[in-house]
Amino acid sequence: MVRTKVAAKSIGRYLLLIVVSIWTLAPVAWMVSLSFKGPTEWYAPNLIPIQPIIDNYISLFVPTNPIGGSYFFTSITEPITKPLINSLIAAGLGTIFAVLVGFLAAYGVSRYQAGGTFVIFFTLLTRMLPGATFVAPLMVFYAGIGFVDTYSGLILLYTAVTLTYAIWLMKGFIDEIPPEWEEAALLEGASPWTVLRKITIPLTKGGLVASALFIFILNWSEFLFALVISVTQVTTLPVQISKYVSAVGRMYGTMASLGLLATIPSLVLGYLIQKHLVTGFTFGRVR
Amino acid sequence: MKTIDRLTQWIGKTESFKKLSTLPLNFVLNFVLIVPFAIMIFLSFTKWELLSGYDWWHAPVVGVPRFIEAFGDARLLWALIRTTIFVAVVLPLEFLLGLGMALLFLGDFRGKKAFTSVVMYPMMMPWVVVGLGFYLMFQYYGPVNLLLLKPMFGEGGMIDWFTNPVLAFAAVMIADIWQWTPLMFLIIYAGLAAVPTRLIEAAQVLGASSARIVRTVRLPLIKPLLVVALIIRGLEAFKVFDIVYIMTRGGPGVNSTEVVSLYVYNLAIVYHNTSYACAVSLLIMVAIALVTRLAIRPLEVKPE
Amino acid sequence: MPKLVVKNLRKVFGTFEAVKDVSFHVEEKETLCLLGPSGCGKTTTLRIIAGLEVPTSGEVFVDGVLVNDLPPQKRQIGLVFQDYAIFPHLSVFENIAYGLRVRKMPEAEIRKKVHGTVALIGVENILDAPGKKLGLSEMQRVAIGRSIVLDPKLLLLDEPLSNIDAKARERMRTELGKLQKEIGIATVYVTHDQLEAMTLADRIAVMRDGLIEQMGTTSEIYNSPRNLFVADFIGSPSMNLIDCECVYSGGRVVLKSGDFSFDITEFGETVRSKSKGKELVLGIRPEDVSIDVDKTDPKAMESEVQLVEPIGAKSIYHLKISGPTILSKDRAMPEVKVGSKVWATFSKNKLHAFDKKTEEAIF
Repeated sequence: MVRTKVAAKSIGRYLLLIVVSIWTLAPVAWMVSLSFKGPTEWYAPNLIPIQPIIDNYISLFVPTNPIGGSYFFTSITEPITKPLINSLIAAGLGTIFAVLVGFLAAYGVSRYQAGGTFVIFFTLLTRMLPGATFVAPLMVFYAGIGFVDTYSGLILLYTAVTLTYAIWLMKGFIDEIPPEWEEAALLEGASPWTVLRKITIPLTKGGLVASALFIFILNWSEFLFALVISVTQVTTLPVQISKYVSAVGRMYGTMASLGLLATIPSLVLGYLIQKHLVTGFTFGRVR
Repeated sequence: MKTIDRLTQWIGKTESFKKLSTLPLNFVLNFVLIVPFAIMIFLSFTKWELLSGYDWWHAPVVGVPRFIEAFGDARLLWALIRTTIFVAVVLPLEFLLGLGMALLFLGDFRGKKAFTSVVMYPMMMPWVVVGLGFYLMFQYYGPVNLLLLKPMFGEGGMIDWFTNPVLAFAAVMIADIWQWTPLMFLIIYAGLAAVPTRLIEAAQVLGASSARIVRTVRLPLIKPLLVVALIIRGLEAFKVFDIVYIMTRGGPGVNSTEVVSLYVYNLAIVYHNTSYACAVSLLIMVAIALVTRLAIRPLEVKPE
Repeated sequence: MPKLVVKNLRKVFGTFEAVKDVSFHVEEKETLCLLGPSGCGKTTTLRIIAGLEVPTSGEVFVDGVLVNDLPPQKRQIGLVFQDYAIFPHLSVFENIAYGLRVRKMPEAEIRKKVHGTVALIGVENILDAPGKKLGLSEMQRVAIGRSIVLDPKLLLLDEPLSNIDAKARERMRTELGKLQKEIGIATVYVTHDQLEAMTLADRIAVMRDGLIEQMGTTSEIYNSPRNLFVADFIGSPSMNLIDCECVYSGGRVVLKSGDFSFDITEFGETVRSKSKGKELVLGIRPEDVSIDVDKTDPKAMESEVQLVEPIGAKSIYHLKISGPTILSKDRAMPEVKVGSKVWATFSKNKLHAFDKKTEEAIF
C-alpha cells in the first residue's frame, strides 16, 4: 500500500520535471531549429528543419548571397567578427582587471577592514542603482575625456561595473580560510604580499576561478553601457544583436544563429563554474 | 637609503598594505562612479544638452527647474507605474514558481543532477539573447502562435503580440520569468536543503505529513533567506532594460512599454536632454535608496 | 502481550552490515536498554523501530501489529534524539504542542495536555522561551515532553545523556529514572554508558557488531556475563581478566599465569566438561577483591601495592600479585600506600572463567 503511494508520487514528480524541462528548453530549441532552417521555413511551425542548412551561421561571418537558395533575403550587412572580437577583448580584460582589483580589495576588507564601512556601502550602492541612471553623466564625462567609442573607456567601465560582484564573491571565499594560518606566517616576518601569494591564493584558487568565470559571463552579456559607449569601433556582440533585431527584423534564421553563437561562451563557462565551485569548496574545507 | 628601497620596504609593511589594497579599487570607483556622480549632481541644476555646442562646465546654472519638470512629467510617471507593475507581477511569480520547483527537487531521485543543470541554464544566458529568443517565439508566425494558440483556438486565435502594448509587455514579463525563476529556485532550494535532517525526522515521528513539515518547519526556518532573495530580485527587476529594449524598444508606438531605465536612456542618449536626464536620474537614485532602506529595516532589527 | 516485538532484524548499508540479527521484546511499562560501544548497531535498531530506516529483513510489531510498512508518522512511537532536535523557531509550548496540533486537537484540550506534561517535566517557567535559547538539559526535557504528551505506545531514547556534562548528568539520570517510573510507558533506551544502563533499565541487551551478546536483567548481566565482551563492558572499573593456563596436577585444577597460580579445583567438573581448550581467562571484579594488611584468610595472596586511586569512601588499588596486575576496589585505607604489602582475597562465588578462544563463560 505504501509502495504504490510512493510510486505515484514518483511518477507525478517526473511528469512535472518533464513539463518544467520542456518550458526551459523551448526557446533555445526553437532558436536552434530556426538557425538551421532556410528562409522558406522561417514562418513554419515545424521544429525539425525539412532542409537543414548552415548558411545562417556562415552568413554571420562571410556575406552569403543567397541564403538557402532564396534571393529574397540577403545576408546581414556586416560580418560579426569585429563585434565578436570586441566582446572578447572587453569582457576578457574587464574580467582580469575586475578580479585583480577586486581580489586585492576583498582581501584588504576581509583581513584588515581596509576602507571601512565606506567600501561596503559603496559596493551595495552600485548594486542597487539602475545602470541607466549613470548613463547621462557618463556620456558627458567620457565625451569630455575622449573615451567614447574607445577600448579603454569600455574596459574601464566593465571593470567598474563588475567590481562589486568581484569583491562580494571573493570576499566570501577569503572569509572561508581561517586567518590563523596567515597570522602565523605574518608573525614569522612574512610581508602581507608573500602571505597572499603563498597561502591565500593557493587555498582560494577554486573560488577565484569560479568568480572569474562568473564575472566574465556578466561582462560578456553586458548591454546597456556598451550600447551607450560604442558608436562604430567598439560595438560588442550584444549591441550588434540589438542592431540586427531592428534592422533585419524578419531574418529569423540568421538572428537565431547569431543569438546561439553569442550564448555558447556563457553556457560553456557556466558549466565550468559548476565544476570549479566544487573544488573551490572542498579546498577551503581542508584543515 | 635609496628611495626605491624605502618604497619597497614601506609597501611590505602591514599598515601600508591596508591602504594599498583598496587603492586600485578607489581609483576605478572614483573614475567611473564618483566623478560622473558629481557631474550628474551639477548638471541637474543646469539647463544643458550634450549637443549644445559648448562644454558642460560652462552650462548655465538655473537651480531647480529640472526637478520641478520631473515632477510634472507624465511620461516619467507612466514609466514608473509600468515598472512597478512589472515588478509586482514578475516577482511573486518567480518566487512562487521557484518555490514550487524547489519543493519538486527536494529529496533524492534519479537524474537529479541532469534535471538541475537543465533547469538552471536560463540564468546563464546573456539577457539580450533571452530577449532575442522570446522575440522570435512571440512573432506572428512564431511557435507560441503556431504551436500553441492555433491548435487550441484555430486561425483566429493567433495574436499579434508586439502590436498590442499590454500583450507586448506580457511577452517581456514572460521572458523575465523564464530567465530568473531558476535563480529563485536555486536560492530557495539551497535554503530548504540546509534545514537539518534531524528536525525533519523529529517532525515525522510526531506525525507530521511532508506538506505540513514544509509549512511548519522548513519555510519558517528559511524566512530571512527568502526576504533577502525577494529584495535582491526585486531590485534587479526594477532595473530591467535589456529585454525591453530588444523585444519592444519601448513600443509599440513611442512609449507604451517604456520602463524607467529605458526612459532615462532615451532622455540621455536619444533625446540628448542631458541636464533633465541627470535630474531624473538623481531623483530615481534617491527614491531607490530610500525604499531599500525602508525594506531592509525589518531585517536589521536583530538583537541576537 | 508485549508492547514491542523485534524479530530477526537485519540492516545493510551498501556493504556494511549494521544490524545482523537482532530480536527482543519489551513488555508494558518495562525499560529495555540497548547497551554497547559505538557502531554496534543500537542506534540503527532504534531508528528501524521508529520507522526512520527500513530494515533489510526482519519484522517489528508494536502492540501486536506489524508496522514494517507504516511510515514514522503513523506508528505512534515517541523518539527523543541524541541532540534533541528541538524546533528552534517555536516556543517551548509550541514544541510540546506540535504533535497535538498535527492531530487537530481543539485548542483548549491542547492547553490542558501540554500543561499536564509541563508539570511532569518541570519546564513551567520557560514556556514561552524560543527553542534556540534553551540550555541542554532544558532541551532534553522539552524533547521528552514533546513525545510523551502524545501518549505514545512506546518511547525510544537515543543516548539522551551523552550531550550533558558529567555533573549535570548524574542529576538528569536520577530525574530520568523518576520520570520513567511516573509515566510508565514501555521504553527502549540506547546508550554506551553502562552505568546509565544499570541504573535506568529493567533489562539490558548488550550489543556488539550488530548482534545481541547477552540479554537479561541488570543483575544477570552483572553477575553472570555470558562472554568476555559482556564481562569486560560492564562494571567500573572493568573486571580483572587474567590469561591463564589450566593445569591438572595431583588431583587439583590450577590456573597458572607465570608465577601466579589460583586453585579452582571446586570448579573442576565444570571446567572439564565445558572448556574446549587449556587456555582460560580468569575473571574477578575489582569490587570482589578485598585486601587486608594481615593475612586473615588462609587463601589470601601476597601482593604489592603499585598505585592507589582514592575515590572518596573507597579506593582503587593496583596490586601486583606474583606477576599480573589486579585492581581491587575496597574501602579507603590511608595506611596502605604504594609499596605496601597487602593480602588480597578473591570472593569465592564471584569468580568467573572464560574460554580464551570462544570467549564464552565457563563459570
